[in-house]
Amino acid sequence: MKIGIPQALLYWKQPYFWETFFENLGFEVLLSPPTNKEIVEQGVKVSDPETCFSNKVYWGHLLWLDGKCDYIFIPRLKVNKERLEYCPKFFGVPDLAKILVKNKILTETFNERKESFERTIEKLGEKLNKNREEVKKAAEISFLKQKEIKEKEEEDFLKKIQSPKQKFILISHPYNLEDGYVNLRMKEKLEKLGAEAIFIDEVPIQNKENKLDWPKFHWEFGKEIMEKMSTILNYNIAGAIEISSFQCGCDAVLKEFVEKEFKSRKIPFLYLIVDEQTGEAGFQTRLEAFLDTIK
Amino acid sequence: MEKPIITFARWGNYTIAFKTIFEQLGLEVIPPEKTNSQTIAEGAKLSPEMFCFPMKVNLGNYLPALKKGANTIFMVQNIGGSCRQRYYGVIQEKVLKEAGHQINFLDFRATPKDIYSKVKEISGASFWQIMKVVRFFFKKLALIEKIEKMGQYYRPREIEKGETDRIIQWSFSKLEEPKKEEDFPKLKREILKKITEIKIDKNKSLPKVALVGEIYTVCDPTINFKIEEKLGMEEIEVHRQMDITYHIKKLIFPWKDWIIQRKINPYLRSTVGGHGRDAIYEMLNYVKEDFDGIIHLLPFGCMPEVTVRPILEKIHQESGMPFLSLSLDEQVAEAGIDTRLEAFIDVVRNHYKNKSRTEIS
Repeated sequence: MKIGIPQALLYWKQPYFWETFFENLGFEVLLSPPTNKEIVEQGVKVSDPETCFSNKVYWGHLLWLDGKCDYIFIPRLKVNKERLEYCPKFFGVPDLAKILVKNKILTETFNERKESFERTIEKLGEKLNKNREEVKKAAEISFLKQKEIKEKEEEDFLKKIQSPKQKFILISHPYNLEDGYVNLRMKEKLEKLGAEAIFIDEVPIQNKENKLDWPKFHWEFGKEIMEKMSTILNYNIAGAIEISSFQCGCDAVLKEFVEKEFKSRKIPFLYLIVDEQTGEAGFQTRLEAFLDTIK
Repeated sequence: MEKPIITFARWGNYTIAFKTIFEQLGLEVIPPEKTNSQTIAEGAKLSPEMFCFPMKVNLGNYLPALKKGANTIFMVQNIGGSCRQRYYGVIQEKVLKEAGHQINFLDFRATPKDIYSKVKEISGASFWQIMKVVRFFFKKLALIEKIEKMGQYYRPREIEKGETDRIIQWSFSKLEEPKKEEDFPKLKREILKKITEIKIDKNKSLPKVALVGEIYTVCDPTINFKIEEKLGMEEIEVHRQMDITYHIKKLIFPWKDWIIQRKINPYLRSTVGGHGRDAIYEMLNYVKEDFDGIIHLLPFGCMPEVTVRPILEKIHQESGMPFLSLSLDEQVAEAGIDTRLEAFIDVVRNHYKNKSRTEIS
């Protein structure tokens, strides 16, 4: 049996976890290709015009997978381990997908206020006729892989932070940072201009104390980004760039507090909004101008 | 601390009732300015670009009141659940302070306990006093909602055009007055008598249109360009479920949410924050009740409503019910809304005509 996983949005919340999990359960996994122009165009055509750009990209990936596999896996992410919520747009994704594609959809609600993650994936396994032992084993391998990647990221971070180049911190959601097409290859662009780009996901959380001034977010990414920021502010960074997808409601809140921290410390801050109409040339110009102001 | 002079977030006609709370507690109040294009533009100038529209409107309403001398702002948070509404207070405070306003911002959670403690803190009133004020507030609120509901019925049926609106305007201005709870029943009788005396054509059969969507835009006639009045003048009966009482009931009794979830399970199996689920539930109900059209109102980019809109569109396709979705923000012009509304009214009339024709044959 073939399970399709769209490589966008929810995928990047737990990268490599789900594909490892399903492969270890003995299924064939079909990942949609990295975002490209065609996928974005398809997605924009079918989606609600006012939903966020990241969602539009996701619909494009879904359409690409439609008809190519037995199931498309779309988790309903609601509440995480720390009892913090995900973006409300994620809550409805599986239902909206049902309207959009003809393919069968495999879904399970991840709400850790009600049940633990382990129990939820057991239920997921039941849907696929796999017993508890098999699920447990597959999950363990996936967790190990996730941990491995995390450790490697932290190593990379330490290496990067000690480099003599100008260091820039890129702040955004993982689905914007990891997807090269969506953020218009920001990392490569910065590297070409002789700077070092650090993703906010790579930054370890060093102290959990809340030293910065931000309200108690009920969103997991809000808390995560602000905590990681309090780490990165201890290091010497040349500037910060925040990337938002157009109409991202959560970022409208988050940006205010992110910007405030950098401004109060006199660290240059650039705010970029990406959507389906963003031109690469415009981005390049703004980035070069931003780097020039720092030199 | 200097003497608090209070202003608060404006919300359509209900503002009158909110004002009563503070007045009755013996606090000085400067009510927020009535929403107009000027206040909206001012508010939008201050607020973050991508934030939702109601927050910009609120900010615009505060500004003239602050100029007149208000120094304390009252704002409820987390009305909607998972959506951005719970950060309104934080952002508004930040934005206003950055703009150089010296204010005391009272941001409280929408639970009776939290509201009570905040009100007590600022006014120093006793428990019974507060309870009395709350009772008066609910009485006024109920009357305002009743007047609105009556308006929806009388407006399309009136014989002399514009009479209903004139009387409703008069009643709302009258309602600002009574300072004592004892004077209220007399006024209530007077208002209700005036409205029921409007000459109407009772036997008229009319097409029915329902308003669904985000609570603030649906309930506030100043930001939805008086959509209820406009439809009423075109001889269409307007229905809507959303109002404050509905919302408060839902806050206190959770089972309404369970019923809603059970009904909408084929379409959406989870909450999406705000009143996302309610829109689907209401639309399904209106389809069952054989209405002639649904208008979905939302602030531009509202997270819950945008998420459910594809589902509403699906219900529209399945049922053939005319459906119009209007996103409102500071750049929407009244003329644009009017044009779309006129076209929609034609569709509604056609739908209604065809329906009655098939019933006869």
